[in-house]
Amino acid sequence: MFSLYLFYNSCTNMNQSLGNLEETVLLIVAVLPDEAYGFTVSEAYYEHMKSRISISAIHTVLKRLENKGLIKSKMGGATAERGGRRKRIFEITTYGLSTLQELQENREKLWQRMPKLNFSY
Amino acid sequence: MPNSPSQDLQHLPQWANRFLEWYCADELLDEIQGDLLEAFYYRKQTLGLTKARWWFIWDVLRFFRPSSFRKRSFNSNSSAMYKNYFLISLRNFRKQKGYSFINLSGLIAGITACLLISLHVIKELSYDKFHPDSDNTYRVVMDMYGGGVLKVKSAPVYPAVAPNLLEEFPEVTMATRILPFGEGVYSVNSEDGVPVRYNEENAVLADDNFFSMFGFTLIDGNIDEVLAQPKQVVLSQTTAQRYFGSDDPIGKSIFWRGTVELVVSGVYSDFPENSHMQFDLIVSLKTWGGNEEWPNNWGWYDFYTFVKVNDNVTQAALDEKLATYLDGKKAESYEKNNTREVLFTQKVSDIHLHSEGLGWDMGENGGADQIYFLSIIAVLVLVIAWVNYVNLATARAIKRAKEVGIRKVVGALRSNLLAQFMVESFLYNLLAVILSVALVIFLVPTINSAMDLTLEVNLLYSAEILAGLALLIFLGTVFSGLYPAIVLTSFHPVQVLKGKLYSRKGGFGFRQLLVIFQFTASIALILGTFLVVKQLSFMRSQELGLNLEQTLVVRAPSSSRGEGDLTNRLKTFKDELGRVAGIDGFTLSNAVPGIENFSISGFRSKHFREDLRDLYRVRVDENFFDQFEIGLVAGRNFNQEMKSDSSAVLLNVHAVQHLGFGSPEEAIGEKVNPDSENPWNIIGVVESYHQASLKQDLDPVIFFFTPESGNYYSLKLSGNDLRATMANVESTWDAIYPDNPFDYFFLDERFDRQYKSDEQFNAVFIGFAGLAIFVACLGLFGLVSFTAEQARKEIGIRKVLGASVNKVVLLLAKDYAKLIFIAMIIAFPLAYWWMTTWLKDFAYQTSIGVGIFIFGALIIAAVAFATVSFKSFRAANGNPANALREE
Repeated sequence: MFSLYLFYNSCTNMNQSLGNLEETVLLIVAVLPDEAYGFTVSEAYYEHMKSRISISAIHTVLKRLENKGLIKSKMGGATAERGGRRKRIFEITTYGLSTLQELQENREKLWQRMPKLNFSY
Repeated sequence: MPNSPSQDLQHLPQWANRFLEWYCADELLDEIQGDLLEAFYYRKQTLGLTKARWWFIWDVLRFFRPSSFRKRSFNSNSSAMYKNYFLISLRNFRKQKGYSFINLSGLIAGITACLLISLHVIKELSYDKFHPDSDNTYRVVMDMYGGGVLKVKSAPVYPAVAPNLLEEFPEVTMATRILPFGEGVYSVNSEDGVPVRYNEENAVLADDNFFSMFGFTLIDGNIDEVLAQPKQVVLSQTTAQRYFGSDDPIGKSIFWRGTVELVVSGVYSDFPENSHMQFDLIVSLKTWGGNEEWPNNWGWYDFYTFVKVNDNVTQAALDEKLATYLDGKKAESYEKNNTREVLFTQKVSDIHLHSEGLGWDMGENGGADQIYFLSIIAVLVLVIAWVNYVNLATARAIKRAKEVGIRKVVGALRSNLLAQFMVESFLYNLLAVILSVALVIFLVPTINSAMDLTLEVNLLYSAEILAGLALLIFLGTVFSGLYPAIVLTSFHPVQVLKGKLYSRKGGFGFRQLLVIFQFTASIALILGTFLVVKQLSFMRSQELGLNLEQTLVVRAPSSSRGEGDLTNRLKTFKDELGRVAGIDGFTLSNAVPGIENFSISGFRSKHFREDLRDLYRVRVDENFFDQFEIGLVAGRNFNQEMKSDSSAVLLNVHAVQHLGFGSPEEAIGEKVNPDSENPWNIIGVVESYHQASLKQDLDPVIFFFTPESGNYYSLKLSGNDLRATMANVESTWDAIYPDNPFDYFFLDERFDRQYKSDEQFNAVFIGFAGLAIFVACLGLFGLVSFTAEQARKEIGIRKVLGASVNKVVLLLAKDYAKLIFIAMIIAFPLAYWWMTTWLKDFAYQTSIGVGIFIFGALIIAAVAFATVSFKSFRAANGNPANALREE
């Protein structure tokens, strides 16, 4: 019980809380070095999560993550299939990376407290 | 990869792409459009083109949100304030649902009424404007004077007019004539032996340049040739369909009245509804025998004559030349008969609305007055609705006073506050207009079928209406928004915030005047309604002087197999009918009551040896008077046994007076046209009866004896099994007249149809009167709420000191009784003036009577009292402690 409270606390103690979708997108940005932009993120999301969300939703999430300082962006090169439009390439910041790690560690701790008995069902 | 990317991108839904480029901020375009194009490119390969396109459109729509929009430069402080005004309006709207609903429904009622009337008016005004060069197309008509007095205005003129004008007037470039005598039976010998036969009423004969003159479209046939030869006929699309189904009608034969073989030379699309002419068939005018003589015929005025003139010719100049034109042609006849005729013109687009009083016209024309009248009602109802808004918005000022006070304290200028309330009024008007348009679209089909009108919803999208709606919103915003805005913004902030407002006694304010106006209009409309109803039932209940009941009228056969054939078959038909059960009588005549009688001629008597006296001619057989129960006043009826009766006539009482005889008895044995070679002997006089509706006076009629032919066969039915009798009559008819259709009507129904336009008028009236009262009551309701709100403390104190609920209600109602009373005083003379004007058009008028006024006053008083007491009971019933506690 106490650790659940801790977990909750650790999340709320961060500057901003992180939603489920945001966390997934942040992870995707982290695993796609140099190649994370709207379209690739949405494709990767589909590939890993087996469900589609619209590109506009991805854009919103990316912008929110950027506002929170979890990722940063720069303008990349243009390609022909983009009709000559440039990409906005995202990469994870150190703060973003540490937030992800913190989340992961907190989860780990919780998992370890999972009563083993439950698995015998 | 088969294609290069740039080629692939050509399959984009371009409009969606352009839409994206339009709304998307430039700095975001790279990432958004780039991602979407890339997605489209890859999806096209994995999902196929169609799906990729749909995804693209979907994505573009999903990106359509404020964060992607271009930032407009005017996003300054003032636009932020407008946003706030907008928001506050919406909040107020939601917070006070009841008030908003009342206010909005008043506006919607007014605007809807206004729109419906506009639809009708626009259609009426659009008549015959579709003809090319319609500004230079005129119909030539004439005024006929006898003894210096205008006797009759005639729409048709002489056949000589058209060719002579064309020859003698250099400005006339084209002239065409229409002869309305194409009616009768048309039949086709079909291959399967089933006779195809129709009684055509809307059939005419026309000159060869008919289709060049007017804007009607010829679908099949050469425009210069379809009417050029004798025995040619052009059919409307519907008519062609009726006779020949899907076969090509060109070159086929149609038999007119059984013996005249016409060849179909063309097909035209059905005339537009807004044409005053509506023809199903047009026969070439050369088909009519003796047409070679027409250029010199100045006696037979049955030809509608249209001319086209050069651009620079004014109607006034044309009329001036035409006025004396006939004097040169008919001088001798004019001098002899002391008559005169004056030709003048009508613009073709004026015919529909401005043909009042013209005799023998095509279609139902006239009614400009009604259009003006309806337009006035439309404006009136709209103004009532706006007044209502003003009333209610002002009434609510109390509740908004604090808001205004706070705004002023934090620095709002009066102009800011004005803007705020104008925005609110704009929103109300905009919403009302949108909902009204929806309501009209929903209502029009119902109204059309209920009132037998042909309103067209499509006109809603016409430029006139759309511009009108924009104007409506603008005017509505200004008219209805300005006064409440001024009142609301005039509050002194300190007083308002201290909670001090004015007392119940406000003298005679602007709002009171508005209520008086609303009720004046409502009362006038309700009184008008009563009068229209009263007049209609009065006309219905009048003695017509003849009995129309249980009378079946069949149009006489006109398709014959040769000389004497129809007379022979008539004998057989009469004999056969005698054996059918349920038939009490048979008579034939060339006119029946309820259908306009076109036959009118001038006659002389010993009292009028010089002047021609106009009498309507009716040809009848000997049963006519008995069957229609028209009483014999003097002399005797026609008698088939007496050979001399072929030169005998009967007169009705009016005709006796018209020919100058002192009494019916004096006329018996006298002669009509005593100086001519074949004078008519007057053998009897009958009572006058109403040939047409009671809008017209009794006509002088002369009856001739023609026992063997007539346009109508009238059968008197008796017994209960009408259906069996009808079936028997029809089978008898079909056996004897297989080449003529059984075309019948019931005389009383037909006669009643003359009142159709009055009934429509009545329904419109009742509708608008109801609407006006409804809206006025909304206004009253608003005003009472206002007073009750203001007088809460006063009521509270009165109740604490022992006043009963009833007393308080009366106290509140008293103020309004005064307003209604004043409204009545203004409305009564107005309504009376209007009533007398309206009644003038009727030959037989009901009395206006005091009853209408008393009844109208009672109804208004009752409705108003119900409205007032509904609100004031609630105010008076409240716990006085609640009202007094707050300070």
